[in-house]
Amino acid sequence: MNPWGQRLRWAGLGAICAGLAFTVAGLRAFTLSDLLGDSRMTPKSFAGRFWDFDYQVFPYVQDPDVFLKTKTGNCQDYAIMADYVLKRKTYQTRLIHVVLACGSAHDVCYVDQVKGYLDFNNRVYARTIQRSGRTIREIADRAAASFDQDWTTASVYTYDYTEDFKHLTLTVVKTDPPSEDPDAATEFASR
Amino acid sequence: MKAPAPSTDVMRDRTVRRILAFFAVISAVLVAIAVVSVRNIQRSAASSDWVNHTHAVILEVNDVLSAVRVGDAAVLTYVVTGDPQSRVAGREAFSDVDEHLAAAKALTRNEPAQHEEVARLDTLAAKRIEFSGELLAARQSGQPDAVRVLLASDAGEEALADLQRTAENLTNEEMNLLADRDRTSFLQAQMTRWTVWSGVVVNLILLGGVVWLISDDIAARRRAAAVLQEANDVLEARVRERTASLTAANQQLVIENLERSWLGQSQEHQIRYNQLIIDSISDLVFVLTKALNISRINPAVVHLTGFESQDLIHQPLSRVARLLAEPRAAAPLVNPIARALVEGRDLRDQPAEVEDRNGKATPARLSVYPLRDRDKVVGGVVILRTGGPNL
Repeated sequence: MNPWGQRLRWAGLGAICAGLAFTVAGLRAFTLSDLLGDSRMTPKSFAGRFWDFDYQVFPYVQDPDVFLKTKTGNCQDYAIMADYVLKRKTYQTRLIHVVLACGSAHDVCYVDQVKGYLDFNNRVYARTIQRSGRTIREIADRAAASFDQDWTTASVYTYDYTEDFKHLTLTVVKTDPPSEDPDAATEFASR
Repeated sequence: MKAPAPSTDVMRDRTVRRILAFFAVISAVLVAIAVVSVRNIQRSAASSDWVNHTHAVILEVNDVLSAVRVGDAAVLTYVVTGDPQSRVAGREAFSDVDEHLAAAKALTRNEPAQHEEVARLDTLAAKRIEFSGELLAARQSGQPDAVRVLLASDAGEEALADLQRTAENLTNEEMNLLADRDRTSFLQAQMTRWTVWSGVVVNLILLGGVVWLISDDIAARRRAAAVLQEANDVLEARVRERTASLTAANQQLVIENLERSWLGQSQEHQIRYNQLIIDSISDLVFVLTKALNISRINPAVVHLTGFESQDLIHQPLSRVARLLAEPRAAAPLVNPIARALVEGRDLRDQPAEVEDRNGKATPARLSVYPLRDRDKVVGGVVILRTGGPNL
């Protein structure tokens, strides 16, 4: 047999094995402890773990282990988990709740270091982090635009799994002048 | 009389300037339409934002009311059944109340009347949540009496109805605002339509003007070309006439030249013939000017005197010939030859002598005949006969 043909055959077999291993690893469910224990966790690698999650609406925030085990959830579960995990990896994060003109809402987790936000809707795309300005208004504009919609209010909120309570800290109203946004002075000072 | 056709260059320059001016106006109108339309669209977007804003307030207020109702019902269910799921549901619903109230407050912070209503809603909801909290605490601490007392003192549906009235008032106010904002949005949309269509009409009129200008220019050019053609035709006709006239004159001239040539030849022939006649005469012939200078001689003179023709031409006749006085007559005062020429009469057969080159004199008989040109004596012919019986 041609030695080059034999080499090619082995290389193909190796590639198939590597693909299978990668797929099995990707399909294997992970836990919150796995995420917290990953010392090389970055926003990008965090987002990369959710590519096979399904979307489903829940009227409440799911328990993190349930969310990861069932691989089913929504933007709120994803953003809150990103905030929870990345904050513990020394990232500065903010949870943003954007209310769209149609009445539905969308949550994202903004990460200051990467100047962008993690969006559950981007989990299947190569570009999992959406670049955006720092202000709540800029983030809301970008998030609403991804739905081709307008927004009415956008709020920064905090959430703790143990308390299971969302606390809105700042709210920006679209019709207000941008100079009156609650974070306008802070953003101006930080720039 | 026709007006002179304008110069093509001037006409073109003027037309080009006018067309450019028209297009500048059209461009300005387009830019103005674009600016006004963009502004209207921005205003329309702002109006749309306000409409969305109003809907959001209504939605948040209704969500507050709904969450209070759900939370209230869940807490009551828990108190009655002890179902922990109901307790969790109640807590989540009251959590939602805070969230919706916070949003409603933010939405109405620049609308004092509505903000006041939201604050009232907040107070009523807080009271209801506080009551539910007390009820939960009593239920969890296992005090059925306290629960009964609390339920007995509860305003119940009345409290919720109050909450609902407040929410309805707020909703009605927002609906009025919605109507105003929707009207504003509609008017802005109408203004945008009006602006765009007006601009289109103005531009169409201007384009019509350009078309008219171009067609007028083309017509003017055609008129100018026709006038030019007419002038060319007239000029060509004149050139043709002139050419024909010149051709005819030339032909006449050719004929005249031919005739003159023939006449010249004839005269030359006649002169030669006359010359031959004169030259064949054996007498001496002198042609004199009025001043009695020799202008011509015949070969007999050369033969007799030995002078060449060039020696005698322009010389006075007296150099070679002179009259001899009558033997008994006194010398005349005036040369008889000159007098004969002045008087225009012949002088015939007078005694004379001819002196040759060597000074030898030869007797001769001299006759003078005046030469006339239209009755005017211009010279004379002197004939000297040297042979014969009367010498």
